[in-house]
Amino acid sequence: MILQNLSIKRKLTLITMLTSSAALILSALSFLIYDLVSFRHLLIQDLKTQAEIIGYNSAGAMEFKDVPAATATLAALTAKEDVVAAGLYGKDNKIFARYSHNNNVLPTLLPAYLEDKGYRLEGGYVQVFHDVTLNGERLGTLYLESDMRQWSVRAKRYAGILCIFVLISALFALLVSSKLQRLISRPILHLEDTMRIVSTNRNYEVRAQKSYGDEIGRLIDGFNTMLSEIQQRDMALRGANDQLKSRTGELEKEIQYRMETQEELLKAKHAAEEASRAKSTFLANMSHELRTPLNAIIGYSEMLEEETRESGKSDSVQDLRKIQSAGKHLLALINDVLDLSKIEAGKMGLHLENFEVAPLIDEMVHTLQPAAAKNSNTIQVQIAADVHAMRADVTKVRQILFNLLSNACKFTDHGVVSIDVEQNKIEGNECVRFRVKDTGIGITAQQKQNLFHEFSQADASIARRYGGTGLGLAITYRFVQLMKGRISVESEPGKGAMFTVDLPAQVIAESPESAKSAANDEAAAPSAESKPHKDTILVIDDDASVRDLTSRFLTKLGFQVVAAANGEEGMRLARQVHPLVITLDVIMPECDGWTVLKKLKSDPALAEIPVIMVTIVDNEAMGIDLGASNYLIKPVDRDRLAVLIEKHRADRSASITGAPSSPFIATPQRGPKQPERRTRGKVDHAEDLVSRG
Amino acid sequence: MPKILLVEDNEMNRDMLSRRLQRRGYSVVAAHDGEQGLSMARSEMPDLILMDISLPLMDGLQVTRLLKNDEATRHIPIIALTAHALVTDRDKAFEAGCDDYDTKPVEFGRLNEKIDTLLTVKKL
Repeated sequence: MILQNLSIKRKLTLITMLTSSAALILSALSFLIYDLVSFRHLLIQDLKTQAEIIGYNSAGAMEFKDVPAATATLAALTAKEDVVAAGLYGKDNKIFARYSHNNNVLPTLLPAYLEDKGYRLEGGYVQVFHDVTLNGERLGTLYLESDMRQWSVRAKRYAGILCIFVLISALFALLVSSKLQRLISRPILHLEDTMRIVSTNRNYEVRAQKSYGDEIGRLIDGFNTMLSEIQQRDMALRGANDQLKSRTGELEKEIQYRMETQEELLKAKHAAEEASRAKSTFLANMSHELRTPLNAIIGYSEMLEEETRESGKSDSVQDLRKIQSAGKHLLALINDVLDLSKIEAGKMGLHLENFEVAPLIDEMVHTLQPAAAKNSNTIQVQIAADVHAMRADVTKVRQILFNLLSNACKFTDHGVVSIDVEQNKIEGNECVRFRVKDTGIGITAQQKQNLFHEFSQADASIARRYGGTGLGLAITYRFVQLMKGRISVESEPGKGAMFTVDLPAQVIAESPESAKSAANDEAAAPSAESKPHKDTILVIDDDASVRDLTSRFLTKLGFQVVAAANGEEGMRLARQVHPLVITLDVIMPECDGWTVLKKLKSDPALAEIPVIMVTIVDNEAMGIDLGASNYLIKPVDRDRLAVLIEKHRADRSASITGAPSSPFIATPQRGPKQPERRTRGKVDHAEDLVSRG
Repeated sequence: MPKILLVEDNEMNRDMLSRRLQRRGYSVVAAHDGEQGLSMARSEMPDLILMDISLPLMDGLQVTRLLKNDEATRHIPIIALTAHALVTDRDKAFEAGCDDYDTKPVEFGRLNEKIDTLLTVKKL
């Protein structure tokens, strides 16, 4: 509807105008109708009266059948313009006399009429019938017909007046309503304008003006409240937004900073690794470069000593011995420093093997006889009957005991140095306890504090008096720690000292370096002797921490572990070590686990090795399709891994009993002298530097 | 008088060791690099070889391998000498075919024992 879309202003005006006009028209019409009805009634009464008069006047004429007189009486109706026709009808209802205005034709017979009313309305005309009587006797009927001219003229005039009046009233109503509608429309329009401003400009600061206290006023109040609420929220939002922006900025800066730091750290790490490599290289070189000239010094002085002794120049012999002893001291110092450096760099691995304790002690005592004899000491040995074999790094055990015993001999004069060995239990673990006791100068409580620290002999003066590098006990202490043992000392100055060393009867290798050794560090390669007892597991994972953790865990379980950081290295090691089981990661740079698996399975030499996939990629079907034996999802359930590996070990030993588990075992062609070398003092073996002065 | 071939690139060590060995009654011939060592082993046919491992031109392990693969020289016992004292050096030496191994600085008494043993074994 068009009306519905009109502006509220127009609507209000229109409603007011239409309402008032309608009311006006209705009341005017009712008035008009009432007036016209009553006027017509009046006219009919008037006509009846007229008929009465004329009837009375013409009664005589009717009695006497005087037509001209009757016609003359009727002619008096000329004065009445509205009477258009009149007629007198006799008793026989035949026309007697007539009058007609404008030559209207009268019926010759009396028309039928309604007796009770005496008139009837027909076709805009009123017809009146009146009985003409004389002395109570009916003589005939008077018939009058009027065209109601006065009534229609009056009706027309009234209608005209009414129209004009309604028109004027409507105009007035329009005028008034257009003024009054503002009361309502203006605040609404103002509200609308305000809303438009708010919505187009997003300006929440504007407010609608409240004009009156009516509903619209309250609407405006509500609107304003809403606006201020929105404004507040908008402000809060802006604030939050700004905060967010600044926070984001800060975060970006932070990220930038961290990335830079990370880069720096990475650089620092590389530098540190580089430095560590440089240090290792330096150590290796130093070992070589220092030993070569020492070789000459010691060798020539020994040679000269022999020659000089033969020629009988005993004075020079003493001097030459001093050169020799200084050279050997220097060599010992170099060896000790190298040992300590290796321990600190974590490169000192353990090379575990089973050995009998008693022969080792006998051999040590034999070696130390000259040192004991020098200060006129005797060495007493006591080995408990239940002490037999132990599993440890024999070179290090030897060096520990050698250091303690030679110290005891050095600091004791004309006394007794004793070594006791017995089986012991510490916290439920089987241990072997070595006790080295002397009756020498002893150690004060204060000296004890620094006893196991590098370059700190109990007293500076001791170095001058007794010689020594001051590193022996520090190395001893580190070696004991390395094998998860304990060392302690009890002493009273002047009454000698007792060093107690407890070593686990079964030392367990835990150093990650020794676990990774085969892959990375030749120097720390496990000793050949320990290999046949162990099955090798190859761990291929690009994540160093995973390699480390897995290696540790498997090493604890008694496996030999080699680790590779990528597929290439993994393949190379698999060929080299021929492991019992390979654990394989999938997501690795360059050559991924799937590729490695395919390569392994397509190589006849390696295809038999069970591969356990250890990955975050959940695609067991693919792994099994490609030939993996098992599929574990990271983080790995270690127990499950252990069970799987055990299963593979059982499978393998069932299928090829007696076959060498690793080509490593078969390769080194030992010389005929090997058994002998194993018993010869602290000379050979492991990665240790050999030939202590 | 057993003949010992000493292959050693360091002049002082070579001089010192050969003099000390001579004093012990050995006849000593010396070579200062791997190639010379190889050719002298073949021409001199010594009773024993003291072989430094790090040598110029051809290292001691390679020389040893060649000698041990040669029917004519296979029987000559070889003692490897090295300044490095790592287990891998020892393993490599045995792998190459050395009969014994010692580290420098040489403890002369110990080296003598090894020489004696190998020469005795050889005689048997």
